Amino acid sequence: MTTALSQGLTLAWRSLIPLKNSPGQLFGMLFQPVFMIVIFVYLFGGAAGGDRAGAVAYMLPGVLVQVALMSTITTGMNLATDIGNGVFDRFRTMPIARSAPLAGRIMADLLTLLITIAMSMIVGYAVGFRVTTDPIAALAGLGLVLLLAMALSWGSAWIGLVAKSVTSMQGISTAVLLPLTFGSSAFVPATDMPGWLTWWMSVNPVSHLAGALRGFLTGGLHVSDLWITLGWTAALLALFVPLALRAYNRRVR
Amino acid sequence: MPAGPDTVGDMKYAIEAEGLVKRYGDKTALDGIDLRVRTGAVLGVLGPNGAGKTTAVRILATLAAPDAGRALVGGYDVTRQARKVRELIGLTGQYASVDEKLTGPQNLLLMGRLLGLSRSEARTRAAELLARFGLEEAAGRAASGYSGGMRRRLDLAVSLVSRPRILFLDEPTTGLDPHARGELWEVVRELTADGVTVLLTTQYLEEADQLADDLLVIDRGRVAAAGTPDELKALAGGHRLDVKPLHAADLEKAEAILGAKAVDGVVSIPVHDLAEPPAALRALDDAAIVLAEHALRLPSLDDVFLTLTGDPR
Repeated sequence: MTTALSQGLTLAWRSLIPLKNSPGQLFGMLFQPVFMIVIFVYLFGGAAGGDRAGAVAYMLPGVLVQVALMSTITTGMNLATDIGNGVFDRFRTMPIARSAPLAGRIMADLLTLLITIAMSMIVGYAVGFRVTTDPIAALAGLGLVLLLAMALSWGSAWIGLVAKSVTSMQGISTAVLLPLTFGSSAFVPATDMPGWLTWWMSVNPVSHLAGALRGFLTGGLHVSDLWITLGWTAALLALFVPLALRAYNRRVR
Repeated sequence: MPAGPDTVGDMKYAIEAEGLVKRYGDKTALDGIDLRVRTGAVLGVLGPNGAGKTTAVRILATLAAPDAGRALVGGYDVTRQARKVRELIGLTGQYASVDEKLTGPQNLLLMGRLLGLSRSEARTRAAELLARFGLEEAAGRAASGYSGGMRRRLDLAVSLVSRPRILFLDEPTTGLDPHARGELWEVVRELTADGVTVLLTTQYLEEADQLADDLLVIDRGRVAAAGTPDELKALAGGHRLDVKPLHAADLEKAEAILGAKAVDGVVSIPVHDLAEPPAALRALDDAAIVLAEHALRLPSLDDVFLTLTGDPR
């Protein structure tokens, strides 16, 4: 068990090295939140009129959720890459724990997710966002984002393990994530929308996650948002963890 | 009782397989392959593309399960004792399976750490292998920036971190230039000098001739021939006569006179009696066929291949 853990940690380290090797990748990861905030707060937020402070307060939780969820694509992409170029086969011919490559991947992605979330908060503070509740509530809100992102990572892992190629993996996950993140009330309230879109935005877990995060960070939490998000997280985990593990076991027999 | 890893050296055969069958959908990749590799020897597995070479290696290296038949590697069953097998083997695939985003040293360090070496042991081992494979210069670069030859050397180095006693090389030099190929051959020779058992697949007859102690020719998932290179060459007959007509238009006529098909403009026939070549040349001369060259030579593995598979590579 301890060897499985240390092998998992070694493989997590391996997954993080590319960030060190190619500064461009690290830069992209760190500055994606900056670009997103600039785009949504200054570009779209400005276009919508109204005061900037209000736009920042509404948009930042949405941007944070968006950035966190989009980053889940990397889990499946990296698995698909490893399978495609034979790295996975190399691990399979070695006397290491079967679970180590998957565990290493998930640990590494969790860490990058934490960095992304932290970076989003730093940028948010720089443009005037303030937590108006208390630190515990803020941490609970960020933890909730981490939870749903983790659940989606398992979905991403499953797609990565069954996809025919990295490109198809990327295509499929983008097609799933774009309507989830943009078709939500993360950036715009679900008013003045066509009926079908309002309906979708009201069932979309991302709307509830963004709503709950907003509540945790700036007050006015609807408890229903919290429960609906937790419910979705549980449902996604119940669906994708077994699917991903089954696909994985098939790959690593 | 199966033998332990420390007794591989005492076993007659490091690899033994019987009746291996593997199907992918309705395509039969392996249709009953038997093979044995003597401990410390190099077995060259030859065959055209799609013959089943890679499938056989995947089964022996525990990456795929056979649909029928069984295989022992180092005395362990590849399906039921996969983990034991994995402690003994190294695999260098047809496609380099190093992490391209990592540098050479990082790839080697990763393997060492996964295999349970301490940080300093893993560093030492990585440095040893970098020096041995001439990869020190590129140490700071990610493997994605390596040349084909360097990448293949790194791939081989990575599979040697565990000091495997049994090594699978699946088309290790495909796509390499002659210089890089020669370098890789040198490394394989060094390994066999250390007593490592090697199973090597290749499409290059010259490579098999250079490196292998024993050969196995497979075609369409079956064994077409097995033996030492000399035994297989004997299969193709004694001397051969090659003739090359000067004018391409004469090729068909020459084929008809000599009763053999041309390959790359050269008609080659086995010679059973040394009176035959002058007679054959006279017949061509009588037909007014001008020859660009003609030569009497010993058969090459190419001839063996052609004889066995009916397919000029």
